[in-house]
Amino acid sequence: MAESSIVLGMADLMVVPAPVKLITLGLGSCIGLVVYDSFAKVAGMAHIMLPNSRGLSASEKVGKFADTAVPAIIEEMLKKGATRPRIKAKIAGGAQMFSLPGASADFLTVGAKNVAETKTRLARMGIALISADTGGNKGRTIEFSTSNWMLKVKTLGKGISEI
Amino acid sequence: MAEIELFSSLQLDAIREVGNIGTGNAATALSGLLSRMIHMDVPKTELVSIYELAEHYGDPMQIVGAVFVRSSGGFQCSLIFIQPEEDANFMVELLLKQQFGTSIPIDEIPQEMIDSALTEVGNIVLSSFLNAINLLLGTQHQISVPGVAHDMLSSILDVVASIYGQMGETALLVNTELSVEGLEEGRRISGHIILIPDPDSLELLLRKLKVM
Repeated sequence: MAESSIVLGMADLMVVPAPVKLITLGLGSCIGLVVYDSFAKVAGMAHIMLPNSRGLSASEKVGKFADTAVPAIIEEMLKKGATRPRIKAKIAGGAQMFSLPGASADFLTVGAKNVAETKTRLARMGIALISADTGGNKGRTIEFSTSNWMLKVKTLGKGISEI
Repeated sequence: MAEIELFSSLQLDAIREVGNIGTGNAATALSGLLSRMIHMDVPKTELVSIYELAEHYGDPMQIVGAVFVRSSGGFQCSLIFIQPEEDANFMVELLLKQQFGTSIPIDEIPQEMIDSALTEVGNIVLSSFLNAINLLLGTQHQISVPGVAHDMLSSILDVVASIYGQMGETALLVNTELSVEGLEEGRRISGHIILIPDPDSLELLLRKLKVM
């Protein structure tokens, strides 16, 4: 079967059977979270924007926040045949696009908070985070392929790496 | 916080007028800096889904140069001057030509000098914008040192998504396009100035403008 490509938008979250290529374009402070079970041949991706859903209505997209996206994507994985001990996670993103010397504003460091919250939530659910390419001040485009279960990370001026 | 989706057209027009006054002053500053006429579009107040910010402003993967400042004080906001990378490069070339009287091709200018020129332009243009609107509102303000980034449009606009995302799913932005006139054939220098009011500051703005 040919590998189809799916591009996720902001706050999107999906879990699909292999073979598939999951893509997110131009992550800045956002996080691209990948989870997969190579035995059950199922993979998921979420484009997380913010760490915490505190105080927001339940109608919001679950993929938007780290604290809601992680449980939702794991639940979806289990529904599609994955088992928890076999699920592995990879993350990329969480950059700080602008540094303003002397200025303090919460949203400037949201990337680091996204990384921290995603890691915390994965750990709390007992999911192994096996690789990460996070932080810095550059945007990333990511591509996860179930052909080799690798996450390709493209960064402007730095080329492509696989994690 | 005010529900931005419920703003009346009178309120949105009042916010647009703030953008108009700010951009007018910014265009004058840019014109002085580059010794060229500046064409300025009528600003628009836009309610944009935070999930579609990049698509709203162009190709999410397009490489852009962006200068970002924070304004704190009475009317808290962020301001971003965003240009296609090529336009930003032409602008730096033109600026250095004005300053030193000789043409240096962009690939011979060190990146630090390009960034420092962009910071300087951003500082002057965005400060002019903010000075005008604070004068109008009668508010005091402090402006941060500008931050510069070169990256994909989509990554740059994450900063807007993270300001408005914590409140809901819609961002209120005031957007104007500026372009420099009288350039050589085949050259284009344009840019967007996007005013990103802090969601908490919108009420203050509307009260000052006497439309709330």
